[in-house]
Amino acid sequence: MSRLTRWFAPSTVVRAHCDLPCGVYDPEQARIEAESCYKIIDKYNASDDATFRERAIGIKEERAELVKHHLDVLWHDYFKPEHLEKVPNLHELFWNASKQASKVKASTDIADAKKLLDQIDEIDAAWKATGGAEKTRVAGRPG
Amino acid sequence: MRPAIEPGDWLLIDPTTASWPRRGSVVVFREPDSDVLAIKRVAATPGDRVPYADGYLILGADEAWLLSDAPDAELMAAGLGEPVDSRRYGPVPVELLVGRAWFRYAPFGRVGRIASRGD
Repeated sequence: MSRLTRWFAPSTVVRAHCDLPCGVYDPEQARIEAESCYKIIDKYNASDDATFRERAIGIKEERAELVKHHLDVLWHDYFKPEHLEKVPNLHELFWNASKQASKVKASTDIADAKKLLDQIDEIDAAWKATGGAEKTRVAGRPG
Repeated sequence: MRPAIEPGDWLLIDPTTASWPRRGSVVVFREPDSDVLAIKRVAATPGDRVPYADGYLILGADEAWLLSDAPDAELMAAGLGEPVDSRRYGPVPVELLVGRAWFRYAPFGRVGRIASRGD
């Protein structure tokens, strides 16, 4: 870019991003990562191999972080204000599940992981109640 | 915002716009919640009635309804889902308005006034 062009170039970028979202929002993404946490905790508790246990802890923390990420995307991008009519406790569901994911990140108690799975299932029910499956799943995908 | 605005367009924004410009204008504003600087078209201005959920919503004295240009059918056909605009984040209060986009000064072949819808 020449000096003259740089002089005239805009200093700020604005986004239209209406064409960006793929439109696929599915609690199953969070559920699969939470299942990983559950299984890893199970294997961690069954093992007495120090190296394996150390690796298990690291991987579980990554997976728990992904649970939080997928929950955030679903909460912010899929759910809209009008969905609160059908699911009045929507924000509480996400708040609790995100908190629980943080707990699982630091925990080796299988009960914590099970609780997280149950909370994601509640979010899944909310997603289905608002037509999430019909809106976002590509035709032909099993329910 | 195609075809009105293309990625890479250089735009002049009128920052002295103190209230929502008329329907059809293109505006730059901060998205509610995310604070992202975005560009959309004014679809309805204060006091207008807009379809919302299963009924209607009357916009407040300082609120506008901002929509992207992309037709829904086109987005859905492309598998892109619903656009990110007032249908997602609701009415936008005037304090989030940055200005009206009124002129494109680059690229060279597209220089000109930003057309309002209905022009």
